[in-house]
Amino acid sequence: MSDWTRDRQRDASSSEPDRRNIGPSRWSHCRKRGIDGSLRTSEADGGDLKGVGQTGSRHLDSRHASFTTPEGTGPVSRCGRQADWGSQVEDDEMRRDVHRDMQRYRRRILGAEVTQRERKTSSGSSGSCDSREGENMETDEAVLLRRQKQINYGKNTLAYDRYIKEVPKHMRQPGIHPKTPNKFRKYSRRSWDQQIKLWKVKLHAWDPPREDGKDKALDNIEELDLNDVMDIELDFPTLTDSQSAPASLTTHSFLVEDEECLGTPVKVQKTEEPTAEPDMA
Amino acid sequence: MLPSIMENSTDDYRIQSFDQDTQMLLKTALKDPSSVNLEKVSNIIVDQSLKDQVFSKEAGRICYTIVQAEAKQSNGNVFRRNLLNRLQQEFKDREETRGRSLQEWVCFVTFICNIFDYLKVNNTPMVALVHPVYDCLMRLAQPDALMNEEEVDCLVLQLHRIGEQLEKVNNQRMDELFFLLRDGFLLQEGLGSMARLLLLEILEFRAGGWMLSSTAHKYYYSEISD
Repeated sequence: MSDWTRDRQRDASSSEPDRRNIGPSRWSHCRKRGIDGSLRTSEADGGDLKGVGQTGSRHLDSRHASFTTPEGTGPVSRCGRQADWGSQVEDDEMRRDVHRDMQRYRRRILGAEVTQRERKTSSGSSGSCDSREGENMETDEAVLLRRQKQINYGKNTLAYDRYIKEVPKHMRQPGIHPKTPNKFRKYSRRSWDQQIKLWKVKLHAWDPPREDGKDKALDNIEELDLNDVMDIELDFPTLTDSQSAPASLTTHSFLVEDEECLGTPVKVQKTEEPTAEPDMA
Repeated sequence: MLPSIMENSTDDYRIQSFDQDTQMLLKTALKDPSSVNLEKVSNIIVDQSLKDQVFSKEAGRICYTIVQAEAKQSNGNVFRRNLLNRLQQEFKDREETRGRSLQEWVCFVTFICNIFDYLKVNNTPMVALVHPVYDCLMRLAQPDALMNEEEVDCLVLQLHRIGEQLEKVNNQRMDELFFLLRDGFLLQEGLGSMARLLLLEILEFRAGGWMLSSTAHKYYYSEISD
């Protein structure tokens, strides 16, 4: 064997681990990472997932066929996020992850359909995962990436780490514990954003204890605006009747209502300490 | 003779050439990445790669390990992000680098190709590096570069290592690159016989599906094997 090729034979299983938490943070105190603080966007160049063997590429169009020393990317700055290689690779990674998740989700739906067919006794009142799920699946890549990014922000918190450590999956109860919104369901943009907000508000319950109570209030005000206070109240009634239905669904129905009265009456809510737990009643 | 490229690869990632403190830093980065300044680590690795030709050939390995360790430990990618962005900066300045020091330029190309080889996203090459790597190799295939044995040497080494992967992600640019190589081999005046030999071998190598037939192998390598 030639000297050249000798060490090309590497461990082929150099798989990257499942990394869903991509993203630095805006809010430093409970975020795990993000020293450069830049928020990356990937929606702008959505569209094309590179397949192996494809000649096309998202750089190609702006390039001459002949050698022209293409600089292409311009200066690396915080403003030129799209251009920097670190962000490009992260976006690429997220895109691939989303597509992989999509395949998994499809398989899971198929599996669920089969078991449902087997035991037809259930009158299908639960309505959460019947066969129309497959048709209602969100497949728009731009939407999925946007949603994934929002989820990543939520997961990229100390609170989330503490939550998944303290509450094992089988202990989590719908309506009580935060449940990551399902990015593959069809929701209106607004409904989705509300779900994310609700989820993040609930996650804050697991924020690490802080020594100085002073800026806690400040930070919370920054993140918990009045809408969030409203959301908590909206979310709580689901406690009573939601043992069977997933929280996201129930909240969804509320949010749809919310959506219909477009006048944003939410703003009227009182300005009390946002961390105060609302009444269960 | 053909250049002999690699020493035995060892598990210590060739960090002996660093001073003690830096060695410690790198060892910590491998074991407990979140406890060190990963931006600094990435800069150290790039700096060394640009100076040290041996290191640049295998630096991808240590980078790969740190990336894995960081992802596993904290699901983070600070190291990779800094590494890639620094690499991008060097890429932007490559023509200047080449003008200043051929050796540094060759080290840079070796390094970026090694990173391309080692760091993958879900097991596939990083799309962001495909064109830059091609740009570097195309540069090495220009007539002025073909006159430098160092650069030809570097070019064919990279193609031996990552040519097949590169072609898979973008075969059109590989075709363009090989037009240049054929032209260089056939038409370029003043090309040394060593450079011609290297070019001929790489042409055969790709034509054989990124491997040499046993007779070709015998032709190119029998002298040095004994």
